[in-house]
Amino acid sequence: MLAFILRRFALLPFVGLGVTILLFGLLQFLTPEMRASLYVKDPRQLSAMEEVIRRYHLRDPFPVQYGVWLKQLLKGDLGYSETAKMPVEKAVKAFFPATLELAVFSFLPILFLGVWLGTQAAVKKDKWLDHLSRFLAITGYSLPSFVLGLLLLMIFYGQLKLLPPGRFSLETDLLIHTDKFQQYTGLLLVDSLLNRNLSVFWDILKHLILPAFTLCYINVALLVRITRSSMLEEINKDYVRTARAKGLEESVVINKHARKNALIPVITLSSLLFVGILGGVVITETVFNYPGIGRWGVTAASQLDVPGVMGFALLYACLFVLGNLGADLLYAYVDPRIRLK
Amino acid sequence: MKTLASFVLLASSLQPLTPVAWGQVKNPDTYTYLTISDLDSLDPAYSYDTASHMVILNVYEALLTYKGSSTEILEPMIATKVPSIANGLLSKDGKTYTFPIRKGVKFHDGTPLTPEDVKYSLMRFMLQDRVAGPSSLLLEPILAHPNTRDENGNILDVTFKEADQAIQVKGDNVAIHLKHPFAPFMTVLAQWGPVLNKKWAIANGDWDGTEATWKKYNNPKKESSPFFDRANGTGPFMLERWDKKNKETVLIRNDSYWRKPARLKRVLIKGVDEFATRKLMLQAGDADAIYADWPAYSQLQNIPGIQIIENLWSIEMNPVAYFTFKINQVANPDIGTGKLDGQGIPPDFFSDRDVRKGFAHAFDYEGYIRDVFRGKGIRATGCIPKTLPGYNPKQKNYTFDMKKAEEHFKKAWNGEVWAKGFKFTLSYNSGNVPRQNLCQIIKRSVESLNPKFKIDVRPIQWSTFLDLYKSSKLPVFIIGWQADFPDPHNFAFPMMHSKGDYPSTQKYKNPAVDRLIDQAVRETSMAKRKALYAKVLEVEYEDVPHLTILDASRYRPQRSWVKGWYFNPIFPDSPWGGYYYPLWKE
Repeated sequence: MLAFILRRFALLPFVGLGVTILLFGLLQFLTPEMRASLYVKDPRQLSAMEEVIRRYHLRDPFPVQYGVWLKQLLKGDLGYSETAKMPVEKAVKAFFPATLELAVFSFLPILFLGVWLGTQAAVKKDKWLDHLSRFLAITGYSLPSFVLGLLLLMIFYGQLKLLPPGRFSLETDLLIHTDKFQQYTGLLLVDSLLNRNLSVFWDILKHLILPAFTLCYINVALLVRITRSSMLEEINKDYVRTARAKGLEESVVINKHARKNALIPVITLSSLLFVGILGGVVITETVFNYPGIGRWGVTAASQLDVPGVMGFALLYACLFVLGNLGADLLYAYVDPRIRLK
Repeated sequence: MKTLASFVLLASSLQPLTPVAWGQVKNPDTYTYLTISDLDSLDPAYSYDTASHMVILNVYEALLTYKGSSTEILEPMIATKVPSIANGLLSKDGKTYTFPIRKGVKFHDGTPLTPEDVKYSLMRFMLQDRVAGPSSLLLEPILAHPNTRDENGNILDVTFKEADQAIQVKGDNVAIHLKHPFAPFMTVLAQWGPVLNKKWAIANGDWDGTEATWKKYNNPKKESSPFFDRANGTGPFMLERWDKKNKETVLIRNDSYWRKPARLKRVLIKGVDEFATRKLMLQAGDADAIYADWPAYSQLQNIPGIQIIENLWSIEMNPVAYFTFKINQVANPDIGTGKLDGQGIPPDFFSDRDVRKGFAHAFDYEGYIRDVFRGKGIRATGCIPKTLPGYNPKQKNYTFDMKKAEEHFKKAWNGEVWAKGFKFTLSYNSGNVPRQNLCQIIKRSVESLNPKFKIDVRPIQWSTFLDLYKSSKLPVFIIGWQADFPDPHNFAFPMMHSKGDYPSTQKYKNPAVDRLIDQAVRETSMAKRKALYAKVLEVEYEDVPHLTILDASRYRPQRSWVKGWYFNPIFPDSPWGGYYYPLWKE
């Protein structure tokens, strides 16, 4: 197993190299003047465009530009992100914890609700629970996240004044930036517990509820449908009939036998969903003014912030490899017939 | 039991956020402004964007400032007097300004401000000269050349000596000698080149103020400056933090301010991109003022506790449609065949005045102002906005008249335009609705004149715009101009002078108008300047190098508990952001 894990990690530099060469190559299709838009944002700066191009070596050939970036990378320097206004390493450290917090907080309900509802929908096929799950899946999948997010915000913040946007309130904002609060991990829920500050914990939690619910409602749909169809396939197989004939309790048949075997596609989808949320959920982050990594990634891409885009791509490549690795390990756990070779 | 107690504590806090009761002020000491702009750098010599300069305005101070809402009347700030010929602080030739420096002013770290700090700050502002930065605003009037590097990027050797001689400390005064008289010089100084703490700068690794090292600090990397995300000014607020992650800047009151300390204890400037979120936060009282544009106007009306302040005239010309007199035809699909054959236009198509006049008469200005700007603007009379001296409300400008448009198109190119027709592409930067509407109105009107007239309208990204603009490939380009300083020169030069930002790309040159603009900027009498700018506007009307459309007004949504706010259009990010010193909440 260790060799398998190491092999996966060894793949990482190649994935990163491939992704960055591809991105760098694509960016070369844009003219230097287009790439200068990162630095020339105002009509008053138009006359200095040629100097900008020279200053940032935008006319250098592709291998030279990529070589410079790669050389920097090997020294541990990912460059400076104009859009984040900080070095790329710092930007990742700054934005990722907020997204991780949101991802974990939304993914756990997605996973549990998706698997449970999918299982129940299969077992109680064409009963009311199945219809309900179908209704939730269709509405969730077809509802644009900005519509749901804004509606939730209007009701729970605009009307009920319960759940505000952002990551924290003014009081928490002022407190967590003093010496009285130590930010150990950047995950403010964890940090507030480590600081033994329940009011901060609750404030952070309140700000997480709506974006997490939005993500959960929209993403759970797919998991419910996949679990349901996978379960339907399993419960019609011979070994399930045999288990029932042996007189096993229905809950054991479903939960221990059928569901375990139905989990393979669920694991694949879950890992992709989790990596997707970790990679940033731009619209949800924008609507709720949540300072996550997705907003930065999109801003960097739209403003042609090359170091920012490269840093984001590398992070995403790492997450993708790790997500796949996690899925592979889980496959072997739920189905011992799968060997990690 | 402990768990239960914790649960009860948590449950008890699940109560609605304190609703804003009638007359109750939320966070009375803290003013929160929600914007869509990010800061670029807090280094006054580096940043050239309104968001950064809005913070700089509150943290640093310049020699002079604008008096209240006026953009013409100046009052002293770090200087104790406004130089004039009458008080003897401005030489009769208009080239030497003497500023007596105020005593008892301290930087936020407690260091007293000295005339040497003033000289250092102005020198640094000029000599840092980052590419596409604001340094030319002082370089041009003081040293009479716009940058410190030649066309190949090599640093000019003489610049330090020139600057050192131009700015001199004489006892408690700082004297500035200009190469030529530059009438708007003091309005530039009131906006650019605030005073920094020299000792603090050097101690934190910045330029030491000597000739030996200045080149090392020329055109620096943004993040290398100690002033990038820290500040040590003399202003009414101190920078508590610039939280780049949460897009939030926090200012805290300077209790040792040389004037009476501000009434607000803290100012929060927060980036919130989504309008609906900004509106909800304003409604809930979690924000005191927000950025909002005209499309959002109706959504902010009649909300209890929210006040809309209207008719705030901006100092800008936006949008303006510029004609390119000599279009670059290399690999340029925007001009079709490149010939006047009905399937394209020749590269010099717009060099014919009748073509330009045809376009000028074929645009429904009033309809555009009414429908796109909700009637909150007036027809521009030329390149000088109504808020500036030199604006002439009686100056003739083109009216929507399809008959006249037809006459001009029939005359253009000896009748060939009318007989053969034309086709070209009109581009606007994607996402800009007013510019999109402008293009569509031009297309509809002009095409309705003659079935042989064809205009394609195309949205392009800003990056693509830059590419095409730089190479003069856009037959007509739509863009705006916002004031650097409140003076007609800041509009006449970039929009009409052959060396200005736009005419140099359009390849428009009229030596007579160049002379008028050069003369006006050196003239010290405002009456004579106004007369010269009036002539510039007349030439503009005759030459039609561009179509100015409207003088636009803006509005400001704020909580009605915000008091003391006044509008000065030259304040950065005005009317939403601005100067926080006079504000309080009640």
